[in-house]
Formats: sequence, C-alpha cells, structure tokens
Amino acid sequence: MKKAAIGLYAALTVALMVWGFYQAIYVAPEEQTMHEVQRIFYYHVPSAMVAFLFFAISLAGCIGFLAFRRNRPDWAQASDAWALAGAEVGVVFCTVVLITGPLWGRRAWGIWWTWDARLTTTLVLWLIYVSYLLLRRFAAGPQMQTLAAVLGIFGALDVPIVYMSNRWWRTQHPAPVFGGGPDSGIKDPAMLAAFGWNVLAWLAWGILILALRYHVERQHQKFAAQEAQDALDA
Amino acid sequence: MDTRAILDHQFTVAAYTITWTIQLGYLAWLAFKWRAQRREAARNSRNPR
Repeated sequence: MKKAAIGLYAALTVALMVWGFYQAIYVAPEEQTMHEVQRIFYYHVPSAMVAFLFFAISLAGCIGFLAFRRNRPDWAQASDAWALAGAEVGVVFCTVVLITGPLWGRRAWGIWWTWDARLTTTLVLWLIYVSYLLLRRFAAGPQMQTLAAVLGIFGALDVPIVYMSNRWWRTQHPAPVFGGGPDSGIKDPAMLAAFGWNVLAWLAWGILILALRYHVERQHQKFAAQEAQDALDA
Repeated sequence: MDTRAILDHQFTVAAYTITWTIQLGYLAWLAFKWRAQRREAARNSRNPR
C-alpha cells in the first residue's frame, strides 16, 4: 500500500514536470524585451522558492534537535535527519539558482556575475549551507550534530536577507516577482500559468527527494546506533 | 534566425539541461547511497559481529 502510494506520487511528479516543461517552452508567450532567454525564469524562480522552503525545514530540524537532544533522543535524531535533508536538498536547488541566474544574466546584462546584494547574499547562503554539509561530512564526535544545528540556524538567518535584498537595496537583479509593489506580478495569464505549474512541479519533485534523503539518513542513524551497540557488547 | 536568437536559444537550452542534470544526478547519487546502505545492512544481518 505504502509502495503503491509512493509510486503514484512519483508518477504524478513526473507528469507535473513534463507538463511544467511543456507550459514553459511551448505555451508561455515569448517576452518582448528578453525574448526566449526569459524562459529560464520558469526554472530559476521556482528553484529559489523551493530552496528557501527547504532551508526553513532545515531550520525547524536544527531547532528541534537542540530542543530535544537532552530529553527526547529519538525526536532529536529525527529532527537532525530533517535538518540534514532540508539543507542538502536546499543546496541542490540553490545550486540550480546560482547557475541558471548567471546564464540569464549573460544574455540580459552582458555579464555573468555582479556583486549586487541579491546575488551576493544568495552566494553567501549557498556557502553557509555547503559548509554545514562539509561539517557534517568530515567532523566527528558527539558535538558534531550540535555544532551543525547552530550553523544551520545561522545559515537560515540569511534567507530573509536574500528575500528582502532587492527591496532593501537598489540591485541590478530584477524587481520582486510578487509582493514588490503595485507594478510587481506576472501580467500575462499564460506566463502566470507556466510559472505556477513549474512551482508546483519543482515543489513536488523537491518533496520526493527530500523524503528519500530523510529516509536514507534515518537508516544511516539506525545502522550507526546498531554498530555502536555491537561495539559495546563485544 | 539571427545570431541573438540563436544565442538566446542556446543559453535557454543550457539552463534547462544543467537544471535536469543537477537534479537527476543528485537523485542517482541518493539512490546509489540508499542501495549501498541496504546491502551493508543485509551483510551485517547475515554476519553479526
């Protein structure tokens, strides 16, 4: 029953991805000033939205780990697994953002990169979470999870700064798509539909790989606990 | 098609291809890791220390 539900969800996700791609490439009209390269937006912005969501899940996991680590070890381990899964999948989506953005920028601005507030804070966010993953990969000892949780919380503090950066400072990055004043928002209904489908598709995809990453980490925790127990028994 | 349109097309294709490569590459790495863990668990259950 569980396997069938996962299979159905995966099939639905693949269908959404294909539909989102079709909408972005074939249905949405070409933008008048940026022409075809504007279609990068349909992958770039949803990836950023999903990355932010998963960094928020990682933040909740980090807080949960710190809250439960003394009195609820099982909950603490589950929280830690969510923190790791959220950070890792968030980094994957953030990497997509940092590659598709410069590809668009090269055509729209004539440069690959500029040190404006939105781009710089996004790069800092990526670097903080990469250092979080490196810490988890290479540090050892009982304090590793606690240190990682603290770093994860600091990393999440950058998310609202990235979000607000093109509201607080004058940036070369385009104005906010939503919530950026009376002129913000997507006016063309076909463009809005293509954007909405791709947000839905990448969210569904992200949830699928997030759940898989969480499952793998929980399995890893169980093996590690079993090995530690075996070593004590020997 | 003029040069600008060709370049726009190539950059769009590159962005979409890189996105899919990163996502599918990560999924493949995750599946590989999961399978390796399951194999190790099966080996450990057959040969407990």
